[in-house]
Amino acid sequence: MIRTESLTKVYNGNPAVDGLDLEVGEGEIFGFLGPNGAGKSTTILMLTGMIEPTGGRCFVDGIEVAKDPLNVKKIIGYLPEDVGFYGNMTGEQNLDYFARFYGMDAKTRKERIAELLELVHLDGVAQKAGEYSRGMKQRLGLAQALINDPKVLFLDEPTANLDPEGVREYRELVTHLAGEGKTIFVSSHILSEVREVCRTVGLLAKGRLVAQGTLEEVARALAPSDGDAVRIVIETREHLPAIDDPAIISVEGNANRAVVRAKADIRDRLSAALFEQGVHVREMRLEEPEIEDVFMAAYRR
Amino acid sequence: MALDRLLNVARKEFSDHITSRRFVIILGLLLVISTISIYDGIENYNNSLEAYTEQLRQMEEFDDPYRNWMPQKPSIMYVFISMMSYMTMLGGILAIAIGFDLVSKEKETRSLKSLLSHPVYRDEIINGKALGGIGALGFAMALALAIAIAMLLLFSVVPTAEEFAAILVFGAVSLGFLLAYFAVALTMSTVAKESGNALIYTLVIFFAVSSLLPMFGAMAANAFAGDPPEPPEMGPMPKGVVRTSSSGGYSTTTVAQSVVYGGTEDPEWKAYEEEMKTYIEKRRLISDISNLLSPQMNYYTVAIAVTNPQLSSMIASPYDTAPEEKPGLAGALGRVWMNIAALIVFPSAFFAATYVKFMRMDIR
Repeated sequence: MIRTESLTKVYNGNPAVDGLDLEVGEGEIFGFLGPNGAGKSTTILMLTGMIEPTGGRCFVDGIEVAKDPLNVKKIIGYLPEDVGFYGNMTGEQNLDYFARFYGMDAKTRKERIAELLELVHLDGVAQKAGEYSRGMKQRLGLAQALINDPKVLFLDEPTANLDPEGVREYRELVTHLAGEGKTIFVSSHILSEVREVCRTVGLLAKGRLVAQGTLEEVARALAPSDGDAVRIVIETREHLPAIDDPAIISVEGNANRAVVRAKADIRDRLSAALFEQGVHVREMRLEEPEIEDVFMAAYRR
Repeated sequence: MALDRLLNVARKEFSDHITSRRFVIILGLLLVISTISIYDGIENYNNSLEAYTEQLRQMEEFDDPYRNWMPQKPSIMYVFISMMSYMTMLGGILAIAIGFDLVSKEKETRSLKSLLSHPVYRDEIINGKALGGIGALGFAMALALAIAIAMLLLFSVVPTAEEFAAILVFGAVSLGFLLAYFAVALTMSTVAKESGNALIYTLVIFFAVSSLLPMFGAMAANAFAGDPPEPPEMGPMPKGVVRTSSSGGYSTTTVAQSVVYGGTEDPEWKAYEEEMKTYIEKRRLISDISNLLSPQMNYYTVAIAVTNPQLSSMIASPYDTAPEEKPGLAGALGRVWMNIAALIVFPSAFFAATYVKFMRMDIR
């Protein structure tokens, strides 16, 4: 549904996005992760047809964005970071103004706007948008992104201004929209937020895609390399006896707990050996780095 | 560019303008001052009309020695002369007020990003904004003229077809003047990141082209035309003819000298006269060229041609004798075609600059 080929954007000689190759399938909830300044928003601006790439191409539903931005905009919805509205108009008037660009007739506009305002809990709010709180603006932003019932939804830092209740409602809404078959592209620097709703992620750093896949795949790909060695954590009830196996490289630990570095996953052999020596195993697992740590390390690189 | 999207933007902008407190206050002030000055103008017109009727009556009653000279019937266009001076001030402020934050405010509130995420091209947005502003200024101008015409009719002053046409032309010229400053404000709004800066830049240009430019024009004329020719040392005292005309903030003084010696003109004085004429024409040319860049000066020149064609004719040709026939509207406009063209070119150039800048604007 979304595809980029060597997508590049250069500002004043500095590449904000540098040869990005990305693919997001239909109906996916894709998390676009990266630290501030990594090029996430710039990528979204190119994908939504709001700025032209310096190099490369990007496609949404098979349409090349730079060549036909208007048709792309007809099938997408976009919630910008720090979304803004016309302060002299109510939420309903703002939505009505945007809805007119889709050629909707008055009746359709009225029904759609009422439905969306109810969805984001802004129905019955008579205030002008200029008097809205940041959270209310964010919710209205979500409504304006959905005004055309888009196939693809781009959300840039969607929970930035929401309170916990708003965040919960947002997560429910995203899940509901994904259930309708919409492709959702969530850009955020908050891993926990992306982890909560996204099925696949891409990590961007300094304008380049560092990794893409499920969270576990990405974490594994980003984990610090230890050659081909695996780390096995063992905890026993009794004192750990000396373990002898040709695959073992090293053993670190104390009386009941050890971390074994081995050339391969030898958990079956280890458990059998310990069982033969009458040692009760409380825990035996492959040690994988915490996802947060892996991402933080990638952010810092 | 699709008309429906352009009109959607224009409709919203027009509605924003005419419902904004800023616009309503300035327009209200403009209309109040307009009403008062039109009222004064009608009184003056009625007095002039009475004087004219009295002159005609006296000419019929007495054997007037100046039978060939006919007093001129006052035109109701004189009523609009006073409109020029406050149009350049309050009208200019109104035009700046609606234009200076048209784009910069959208950048500040980030509504531009939201707008651009929907299926609308940038040129449709900027053209729609310009169209909405032009519509609001046209609405203000139409309201001012409608009040003026209503007042004329209220005081039983009925314009002829030609006068009505002149009123419409005056309205169009005034609108052209307002558009000049609206275009400047819109450009600055697109260039500046903040509305405050956009307003300051616009005011700087406003004062530069309305006050500094004519001043520099006069200075340049003095510098380039050199010293005026010296009159001949000997000879009879010249008979000076001084014509002074003034109207609504615009005044001009022309001096012509002629010497008659023994029934024929003195050749030295004649030569001096020619040199003086050339010198004054040269100065005027330099000054006029610089004034073409000033919407104020162009507006005055064209508006005078519409409201007082005779005065306009005198200004245009100070050495010609006053024409017997009252010059028509078309003739008067023909004489100031360069100023009309400048009134069109000035806003067009700024609109073009706005368009280019907006199309290339970074919206991050």
